[in-house]
Amino acid sequence: MKPVLLIAMNFVREQRWPILVLLLWVLLLAFLGLMSDIRRQREDLLFVFKQVAFYVVVFSVFFGGSAIYSERRSRRILAVLSKAVSRQQYLSGLVLGVTIASAIYCFTLGLTGSWTLGEAGFPMSQVWFLMLCLVAACMLAGTVALMFSTFLNPFFAASATAAVLGLPAVAGESHALAAQWGYVIPAYALTRTVLQASFQSPGNSFWLPILLALVETVGFWLVAARIFAYVDIAVAVE
Amino acid sequence: MTVVLEYDNLTKEYRSFASRRRVRALDHFSLQVEAGEIFGFLGPNGAGKSTAIHLAMGFMRPSSGSGRMLGKPFGRASTRRRVGFLAENVALYHRRAEPLVRFYGALNRMGGARLSQRAREVLEAVGMLDQAKGNVGKFSRGMLQRIGLAQALVNDPELLILDEPTSALDPVARVMVRELLLKAREAGKTIFLSSHLLSEVELVCDRVGVLHQGKLVRLGRTEDLLASAGQTEIVARGIAPDGFAGAVARHGVVTFTVPVHQQQAALERVWSLGGEVVSANPVRRSLEEMFLEVTGAANSTGGAR
Repeated sequence: MKPVLLIAMNFVREQRWPILVLLLWVLLLAFLGLMSDIRRQREDLLFVFKQVAFYVVVFSVFFGGSAIYSERRSRRILAVLSKAVSRQQYLSGLVLGVTIASAIYCFTLGLTGSWTLGEAGFPMSQVWFLMLCLVAACMLAGTVALMFSTFLNPFFAASATAAVLGLPAVAGESHALAAQWGYVIPAYALTRTVLQASFQSPGNSFWLPILLALVETVGFWLVAARIFAYVDIAVAVE
Repeated sequence: MTVVLEYDNLTKEYRSFASRRRVRALDHFSLQVEAGEIFGFLGPNGAGKSTAIHLAMGFMRPSSGSGRMLGKPFGRASTRRRVGFLAENVALYHRRAEPLVRFYGALNRMGGARLSQRAREVLEAVGMLDQAKGNVGKFSRGMLQRIGLAQALVNDPELLILDEPTSALDPVARVMVRELLLKAREAGKTIFLSSHLLSEVELVCDRVGVLHQGKLVRLGRTEDLLASAGQTEIVARGIAPDGFAGAVARHGVVTFTVPVHQQQAALERVWSLGGEVVSANPVRRSLEEMFLEVTGAANSTGGAR
């Protein structure tokens, strides 16, 4: 477990500047929100909150999709995997790192959301439940991206991830069992829970998609580990 | 003797996805490295040296054949705990030197005061203790290579695999690394050293293997390989040079070489002429001469041993 934590913390450290910029963006928007007339502009505040929440899912795809590529390109992966670290542990560290990075973002968003939306009458507990949904969605999205990045470059890995995560949405739109399709790969269902929240209907605390996301994260991690075990990591990626 | 690193009929082919062309980097390669020796792994660029090292470290899988490191098949994470590795063109995270070395030590399950102490010890050993608080991202290539060496040594490895460890170092640092390697051998460690710096290899290695086009074309003890010219150099005093083929008179002595089987006769002739033998030594080639001879011969015979 120690190497996994070390790799995860190292990943977060390596991504500290993009994370910091994102946090500053969230704090800036929260500050502007607090400066406004919260009661009268609460719908606008909620819209901005949901928009900023959606970004983190996209960022987790980019984080996950580029992690292995940049490590291989810089050849830093060699020094790490020359230690008593298995490839499964390495991937676990990256999954945990992506999850921690998105959790930091979601925590900050949750805090600022509690101040601004809480002031406007949005249930505070529901803000944190939505953040939990978001973290689960990020974890799953980041892991799917990581799986594709074991054999694709970041651009194709991100595209393939978008296709896989968006598949339930497309299927749901064109199928009678729309709701059920959303749970096949529940990143879409979890993101939709956040995006459909409103002051009138803040959403219910439905835990099934979160649990499914956890299980599927393990599943995609297993597939990623299986593929990554056969990758020649010392071969140049360009 | 215990075998620490073993390649058994190992072949590695790279396949190009686009052109489907195959490149054979290692061709039925077999080698045994014994415990407690410094083994020099030589070969021209593209010979397959780094591929052989990466296979041992588990960075890639062989196309056929197998290998064992410290008694276990290649690629086991638990085995790497007892191994130190320095890659060619070392790349490390950009953070302060001491925490970075501690980070790599912690990946090998080290921790606490022992790790902190060990990190400082290895930084001192590679002459970087003064720079322990410096950011590795701002270091020169030579300094980076020394930090790379420190991270390879931090876990006090039984087997040290070094890919071009002195390529970016200045002469003083090279001497320091050489002493470090000799000290490690004294402590019973095994060192597998890949290098282009043949003079360095000649000075420290017990055995040498030459790889060419993926095949091992020469293997043996360094002193045997260098003394295999079959000639003896005789230095004598009190004789005229014209009595011996190729003899040169300089600074009051006459120097000439004879085949080993004629050595006895040549010495008796010096004495019979009233001369005095100053020395008679086997002619030693430099490793560079041996290397050029071996790789040149392999080129002309298509890599045959």
